[in-house]
Amino acid sequence: MNNVMSLFHTAARQGKHRQAATDEANQATPATAGLTIALNIQRGAFTLQLNNRLPLQGITALFGRSGCGKTSLLRAIAGLDRHPGATIHFGNTVWQNSGWQQGKTFVPVHQRRIGMVFQESSLLPHLSVKQNLLYGFNRLAKHIEVQLRPEQVIQLLELAPLLEQAPEQLSGGQRQRVALGRALLSQPQLLLLDEPLASLDQQSRGEILPFLQRIANTTGIPMLLVSHQLDDVVKLADHLVLMQHGRIHSHGPLQQQLLQPELAAIGAMSLLHAKSSGSKQHLLQLSIGQQPLQLPAPLHAAADDQSQAQTAYRLRIQARDVALSLSKLSDSSVSNQLQVSITGFSPAPHPAETLVQLSLAGQPLQALLTTQSVARLGLQIGQQVYAQIKAVALD
Amino acid sequence: MPELFATLSPQDWQAIQLTLKLCLYTTVILLLLGTPLAWWLSLSHSKLRTAIQAIVALPLVLPPTVLGFYLLLLLGPHGAVGSSLEQLGFTHLAFSFTGILIGSVIYSLPFTVQPLLESFRRMGPRPLEVAATLGAGKLDQLFSVVLPLCRGGFIVAATLTFAHTLGEFGVILMLGGSIPGETQVLSVLIYDHTEAMNYAQAHQLSLGLLITAFVVLFIVYGLNRRFEREAVL
Repeated sequence: MNNVMSLFHTAARQGKHRQAATDEANQATPATAGLTIALNIQRGAFTLQLNNRLPLQGITALFGRSGCGKTSLLRAIAGLDRHPGATIHFGNTVWQNSGWQQGKTFVPVHQRRIGMVFQESSLLPHLSVKQNLLYGFNRLAKHIEVQLRPEQVIQLLELAPLLEQAPEQLSGGQRQRVALGRALLSQPQLLLLDEPLASLDQQSRGEILPFLQRIANTTGIPMLLVSHQLDDVVKLADHLVLMQHGRIHSHGPLQQQLLQPELAAIGAMSLLHAKSSGSKQHLLQLSIGQQPLQLPAPLHAAADDQSQAQTAYRLRIQARDVALSLSKLSDSSVSNQLQVSITGFSPAPHPAETLVQLSLAGQPLQALLTTQSVARLGLQIGQQVYAQIKAVALD
Repeated sequence: MPELFATLSPQDWQAIQLTLKLCLYTTVILLLLGTPLAWWLSLSHSKLRTAIQAIVALPLVLPPTVLGFYLLLLLGPHGAVGSSLEQLGFTHLAFSFTGILIGSVIYSLPFTVQPLLESFRRMGPRPLEVAATLGAGKLDQLFSVVLPLCRGGFIVAATLTFAHTLGEFGVILMLGGSIPGETQVLSVLIYDHTEAMNYAQAHQLSLGLLITAFVVLFIVYGLNRRFEREAVL
């Protein structure tokens, strides 16, 4: 085996609250929480044409190249831009109607129950962090039930040390955290995040990502996240809406959407859901279906830790970090060898490579091999092979 | 220099009072008119905007005599406005305080609108969008976001308008003449003193205006620097 074992992990995430939180969300916002959007905008070379219903649960990523209309769509949903002829319904609530049967409706921004975080720092510079946080909270209509109290949000986002500071004293990451808290305190039924990480450096991103996950896990407020960074999307999202040239190309659960050739062209990867049964000797014991997988446990954890048992993890695996062999290798340093079956082949961006679609206990996995290797091994659809997984990012 | 001011005549004092009254009235009226106008200019994309902007800037380039001349034609007894007023039982506006107040408002318009427009543009639409997504309606946005964020713009606009009206001469001479207590402001009185060879009196008023103007501009530029630093964020 010529590849050096390079197992690494990013911030560990406990995913066990995720399902419960999603159930709560269904109670907080009606079970029909979803967006129905019909839009037709044509402005010079720019077009945005949609007629879709997007289910909203957990984090939904709006992903696409710059200029494909992601931000315009988000602004239309928020009501910041008014497009004649558009229809926007959130659950059973009509935000905009234009048909002559239903009559014309346009609910202005300040009456929509949304929270929005913009790309760049958008804290009101004349107000302190505390005043910023309470700006929306103090303007809540009387009939709105407060589900997130200031002290809860301050604790959730670790804002206590910042409260008396002015926005200009904060770092980029801190500002976005305050903006998130401020949006949450306006008790939104939908959080709209317009590339909240785009203006941040790598380190600050690392400071924000876990908080976004924490919000999704604990509040259950559905989030619509605009991003053009596939990495961020794969770390965070449950659903992915792929946008191209002002249209929604496809939408669905992230795991399935990653198989779209358009996404594979950017950087083929897979998302696997695994369960842990604790850690032994600093190795996290995971299983996918019946198949075992071992990864270095997070550094802060004890060597042998059973408290992590039954915790759900998300594993991100680059297609080029997966190798295939016809039999289980005993003379290889790669210890994570999982039995998979081949479900298909698709062309890779490089002409000499082929993307092999695999099924691992029912979950999709992709491997990027040279076309030559595929021929040499005689790989065929339906064949059982072993996948050697060289690197995994753990969320 | 107490001995300098000891020789101020009652006529001088009257002119000082009248000038301050004119400046104050002009500033208040222009802030009320200029704010919505500047707001509209900062947001509008219509073709009309260019025309309005050019009209607002006209007093910057026209000789004040031209402005005064047309206002005299318009507001005087034979002008469209003046004659209509007379038919309604009022007096025409030439050679009156109201007349020079109207002249001042038009003459100082760019000095109100430009700083406001600049500060509205510097603020940009984002703070208002933020406020809207947090539940603030339009009026709420004006008081909780626009006024505090554009405070510097308002202060600069008010000070410049006041100072510019202080230095007004041509429009007032054309439209108002030199009626003590009615239209004889400081700049006109200085002219009268000089014509009458009262150089000492002309000098003390001139020096007073010079110092006042310097102090006002010094304050404006100081504020400008401070608010620019505030606006960096």
